Amino acid sequence: MENKAVVFINQFFGQIGGEEAADHEPIIKDGAAGAAQALDAHFEGEIVKTIISGDNYVASNQEEASERIIDLLEGVEFDIIFAGPAFQAGRYGQACGTVGKAVKEKFDVPAVSSMHEENPGVDLYKKHMYIFPGGDVAARMQEDAEKMARFGNKLLQEEGPFLQEEEGFFKRGKRHQYFLPDETPAADRAIEMLLKKLNDEEYTSELPIPELDTVDISPAIENLSEAEIALVTSGGIVPVENPDQIQSASATRWGKYDISGLDRLGNRDMDAYRTIHAGYDPAAADKDPNRVVPVDAMRHFEKEGRIGKLHDYFYSTVGTGTTEGEAARMGQEIAEDMKNNGVEAVILTAT
Amino acid sequence: MLKTKSAEKGVGFLQLELENFYVEEIEFGDRTAFKDGVLTIDKEEALSVVREDDKITDADIRIVEPGDEVRLVPVKEAIEPRYREGGGPVFPGVTGPLMQAGDGRTKALKNTSVLVVGKHWGGFQDGLIDMAGEGAKYTFFSRLKNVVLVADTNEEFEKREQQKKNKALRWAGMRLAEYLGRAVKDEKPDEVEKFDLPPVADRVCDMEELPGVVLVMQPQSQMEEDGYNDLSYGWDTNRMLPTFMHPNEILDGAMISGSFMPCSSKWSTYDFQNFQLIRRLYEEHGETLNFLGIIMSNLNVSMEEKERSAQFVAQIASSLGAQGAVVAEEGYGNPDADYIACLVALEDAGIDTVGVSNEATGRDGGSQPLVSLDPKADALVSTGNVSELIELPPMDTVIGELESLARDGLSGGWADDEELGPSVREDGSIIMENNSMFCGDGISGWSTKTVKEF
Repeated sequence: MENKAVVFINQFFGQIGGEEAADHEPIIKDGAAGAAQALDAHFEGEIVKTIISGDNYVASNQEEASERIIDLLEGVEFDIIFAGPAFQAGRYGQACGTVGKAVKEKFDVPAVSSMHEENPGVDLYKKHMYIFPGGDVAARMQEDAEKMARFGNKLLQEEGPFLQEEEGFFKRGKRHQYFLPDETPAADRAIEMLLKKLNDEEYTSELPIPELDTVDISPAIENLSEAEIALVTSGGIVPVENPDQIQSASATRWGKYDISGLDRLGNRDMDAYRTIHAGYDPAAADKDPNRVVPVDAMRHFEKEGRIGKLHDYFYSTVGTGTTEGEAARMGQEIAEDMKNNGVEAVILTAT
Repeated sequence: MLKTKSAEKGVGFLQLELENFYVEEIEFGDRTAFKDGVLTIDKEEALSVVREDDKITDADIRIVEPGDEVRLVPVKEAIEPRYREGGGPVFPGVTGPLMQAGDGRTKALKNTSVLVVGKHWGGFQDGLIDMAGEGAKYTFFSRLKNVVLVADTNEEFEKREQQKKNKALRWAGMRLAEYLGRAVKDEKPDEVEKFDLPPVADRVCDMEELPGVVLVMQPQSQMEEDGYNDLSYGWDTNRMLPTFMHPNEILDGAMISGSFMPCSSKWSTYDFQNFQLIRRLYEEHGETLNFLGIIMSNLNVSMEEKERSAQFVAQIASSLGAQGAVVAEEGYGNPDADYIACLVALEDAGIDTVGVSNEATGRDGGSQPLVSLDPKADALVSTGNVSELIELPPMDTVIGELESLARDGLSGGWADDEELGPSVREDGSIIMENNSMFCGDGISGWSTKTVKEF
């Protein structure tokens, strides 16, 4: 069966207008329209539809534009979405990213684009789709489109996975283990790297340190005696029956547990609370869960009037082996719940 | 004996001869013996050695070879069978009284290991080995002819615990390895390897031109309670500060593996006995570098302990005159903080440093690879991603209990998952995280894996 592609291009490359048409709403055309023909020349299959939209419209109305384009594609059979090439055009790059990501997620097809390295769309969307480094101006159209089409062919015809260093798309932040074809053991790689480093020769670290995603510390609470404070732990304290089935390692779930009216958490022997965390010795936490989730101390401060109120629920998950991605998602979900329930500050207890 | 200045004054140094016997075939027979590459095992006698500890309630010995359609789980330990000339313990301070390891002659059965498998119960730290098929590429031990001890114990206190000390089983494995080692007590080896690294201050002149290099080992030592951590001459590595060791000591039984940490990140006792980074540094010694020795550090719980160890390591390395260092971490997650702290302390001391460890980038590959990061850690070897998903077909035979992967909280297994279902399926096929591949990330230097961008 022949592979089918959909192409997204902006108003200019879709030949419906220049800057004045930048707010044009999305339309769909049969086959390879406008600049989509540059992809058609190298794509081994059929370009079934071309979506054309004002790039400013998409970049400024991302959600609405995505929905409109998804609606246009309902019922269309296709295996891949190409967006662009977008060169150094910032709005166009963002539009390609928005459409590529939305269509990929909705229809579960790969998305491929091309942008100049300084296009802001690269940093915004490289994690969500394959973006190839492209030229800064449209004179590079043929070359950039060919790269996209050829990689699209590969995605549809070969099993993968596709090594970034071989294919050349911008790093997507997806690191997976890989068996070296020449089977060089780690001991050899380490000593060879060390000798190069000692001799001031070039070497390549196998784990380049990524830029850190740090979070600014919030300003201090002005009036602590009126603040509602919640306890959150990655130490795995849960009711003994673990009602939310939070995993003991590599957690993807979190729970919140009602402590209103409790002066302190009961322990495992009392069939009250325990830890399910598999990354530290559970003995002390099982004996007194308050040492991980300090309800007793917080009640003390509450009575003293040092804090306004201890939140009626504490929040819990397991930190061991839990990936940063899952932790960030759970953190966002927990923060959302807190915001909806009047929590002003959080004490996060680690283990 | 090498001539050194200190030797002239009557000061000796550790000189190890490993006498190797290559095992080509293993079979059961009337008498335990080694002849012409064939290791014959008197099963009943071997099992009586296993049962010397009355905590062992049930035991059997099986032989598995590369290509056998066999899955082993829960695997707790791997040990190379050896005999120490003179009859001393192969693991001083553990299987017998304290004595100096790394000096003298030790006979080793090569191409084989004793694998210890729980008959039923597994835990967080235990792993899986496939001897054939796709799964065989994930563990070094799939390449060996293995003597498998599969046994159960009456250690009721930890039967249902996720963290197990596995003491009776691990010690039974060491007894069995020593028993098998005695088979070559009076035999002539196929090969003799000499390991004789002279005193640091006493190296011949041309050595002074070569950069001094230390290997920093960070064995797993993060459990506060006795019984889980790696041991150095029987001493809990949680309760030590970084110290200077001769590489021969590690190659000759001074260190044994513990029973903590997701399995792919672990160093088995076999890994210590054959530590690839040490062997590689020995090869380079006198050629491209001057191998100064081992700084045995550890992995800690509190931040201050982590920093203290890093400070000790950098001080010992610089006092020894090291210009280069390799740091190897037995673990991931929290101990990444110890790993990075150590790399940074060495770099800050002006020592060119390379790190060896694995990563945890998540099943989708999108997570931060190490818990702690620092731009000074600019030369890292990566040996695998602990959370990579691995799906494997059923095997004809399971030694141990397959259900343990799902039931007992193995770090790479689960009872159920919304998307993936249970780790162990009805037809015997499995889906797991790399985490539970037995010592699968080969951080001691075996790993032919790395981690790349996709």
